[in-house]
Amino acid sequence: MYPNEKGYYGRYGGRFVPETLIPALDKIEQAYRQLAVDPEFQAELNYYLKNYVGRESPLYLCERLSRELGARIYLKREDLNHTGSHKINNTLGQALLAKRMGKERLIAETGAGQHGVATATAAAVLGMKCTVYMGARDMQRQRLNVFRMRMLGAEVKEVSKGSQTLKDATNEAFRDFIQSFEYSHMLIGSAVGPHPYPMMVRDFQSVIGRELKEQFKNLEGRLPSYILACVGGGSNAIGIFYPFLKEEVKLIGVEAGGRGISPGEHCATLAKGDDGILHGALSRLLQDENGQILDTHSISAGLDYPGVGPEHAYLRESGRVSYVNVSDKEAINAFLKLSEYEGIIPALESAHAVAYALKMASELPTGNSLVINLSGRGDKDTEEVSSYVEERQEVL
Amino acid sequence: MPNIREAMLNCRQDHKLALIAFIMALLPDEDLCLDCIKALEQGGCDILELGVPFTDPLADGEMIERFHHRGTKQGLNLKRGLEFAHRVKNSCNMSLILFTYYNPLYRMGLEKFTQEARAAGIEGLIVPDLPLDEMHVLNGYGMEPIPMLAPSSTDERVQMADRRQAAFIYCVSVRGVTGMRPLPEQEIKDYLQRVRTDTRTPLALGFGISGPQQVETFRDYADAVVVGSYLARIIEEYETRPQLLPGQMEKAFLELGKAREGKHGSV
Repeated sequence: MYPNEKGYYGRYGGRFVPETLIPALDKIEQAYRQLAVDPEFQAELNYYLKNYVGRESPLYLCERLSRELGARIYLKREDLNHTGSHKINNTLGQALLAKRMGKERLIAETGAGQHGVATATAAAVLGMKCTVYMGARDMQRQRLNVFRMRMLGAEVKEVSKGSQTLKDATNEAFRDFIQSFEYSHMLIGSAVGPHPYPMMVRDFQSVIGRELKEQFKNLEGRLPSYILACVGGGSNAIGIFYPFLKEEVKLIGVEAGGRGISPGEHCATLAKGDDGILHGALSRLLQDENGQILDTHSISAGLDYPGVGPEHAYLRESGRVSYVNVSDKEAINAFLKLSEYEGIIPALESAHAVAYALKMASELPTGNSLVINLSGRGDKDTEEVSSYVEERQEVL
Repeated sequence: MPNIREAMLNCRQDHKLALIAFIMALLPDEDLCLDCIKALEQGGCDILELGVPFTDPLADGEMIERFHHRGTKQGLNLKRGLEFAHRVKNSCNMSLILFTYYNPLYRMGLEKFTQEARAAGIEGLIVPDLPLDEMHVLNGYGMEPIPMLAPSSTDERVQMADRRQAAFIYCVSVRGVTGMRPLPEQEIKDYLQRVRTDTRTPLALGFGISGPQQVETFRDYADAVVVGSYLARIIEEYETRPQLLPGQMEKAFLELGKAREGKHGSV
């Protein structure tokens, strides 16, 4: 069972952070291992997931798309969770953990703002303080989420250094945490970071896959043929994949291919990256030949990240999960198609998984079933997509 | 040829605190950086910690971070840092330590890196994101990683640092990143004394040392101080008048040098 006691998934993972933080990570791990088997804690978390988040999230069969493409296409509707994405599964889990540890403040990094909103929400409902770091470029393209976080009482700090996106927001969150860990918890939103974060995030997000297993069995009496999820850092993907790792189900992670394969134009870390260390873990990484981290691009702020969770790096190497990528343009087209065919506006992140599912569904023999993790809703992206479409009329 | 251990021991014998300067390689430019390094030696610096710019320096505060970003924007990297170290080694007699985040080093490959670093005259390594549990990756390469400790370190971590039998242990002064700030004096003294009970390895105090007064405050509790952001500030202030900069660096170190005399105590 991964990770091992030092936080490794095969050769990936570990804890590559300043010595100052090691005692803080030890305490988090200790508390987490206790609470993971504490029925009272689990009951409290489940109470919030049911009554506050609205779990379980539905499994929906896309009838029009299925008819057109010849495979049964299902959506795991994480977009229907409170706050509009899967992120809340993890933020409530970690916030409750932080509270049990006596922490009064949450620190979060955010790209698209979904994790920032979910953290601000958990802080509000549990009566905690919250600071969210967000890249200046992301604040501009995800303005709606900035307003939401502020309304929820969070302090949003603009990071205008480096790439001005999630990578630098994460650096800044770490710097805050190094200074404030005695009273603050860093609530990492993706399956990245030093041990025990990738494990905790995976465990809290695994509720998605566990529900899906039940729901699918009830509907079809078996397991799906394929499960697809988008991968930035990889939290929604690991959450839906994890309970199926030992099952006969094909798992596909979809990365952001951006504008093309040149460096700086995409975020296809597992396809194009190499081994390296960023944000506390050894994983796959987009870097130059001297080990400097590369700038990345994706139309979707939530996937715009040069790293990926260590467990995904491991699953890629073992071959258990296939990782593919789709371009900005394909994601936009999928965004529009799902909206028009099913009346569901997906987050641009999730639209990457939709795009690949649409592409492969038409080529599959009949009788296959595909489940897409619809990790978030796309209200936040409507402005971005509209201007993309206006600038390039050829898309429509 | 001087080495770190000897430099530390010599200072200990002379009852003075060893002075370690942190400076980012090749900034503001190659020649001026070299002039600054020579001036630091003139000013009494014992050990030089040469920094390699990295795109994501998460242990560094604003001041040093600016130098990282300036450096990476100019295309500076580990390879250029090692080339520069050669030049430094040929122009001064100070012991040389390289400061780099782990990824550039990992990317180059530990074998190749340590070979080139040794050839460049580098004797020690400070890798801020390589904590004690992971430091074993550098074992057997003939390049000494300097263990780091922080006020949050448990006794168990202190003992782990001790077991490395390093030339010195880098004691981070505060829970935080690099940068100048008011330091909680008594807390730091207590912390250094606590570390001292578990190790005979010399202790260098770093992060936030911003002038002669702090050298005086801590000189009886540590064997060395590391001065970084203080020098970075001087570089930023004087780089538009480059002819004055080396003189200012020397002056800064002469002042720190005065403050370190008269060290009592210590092991």
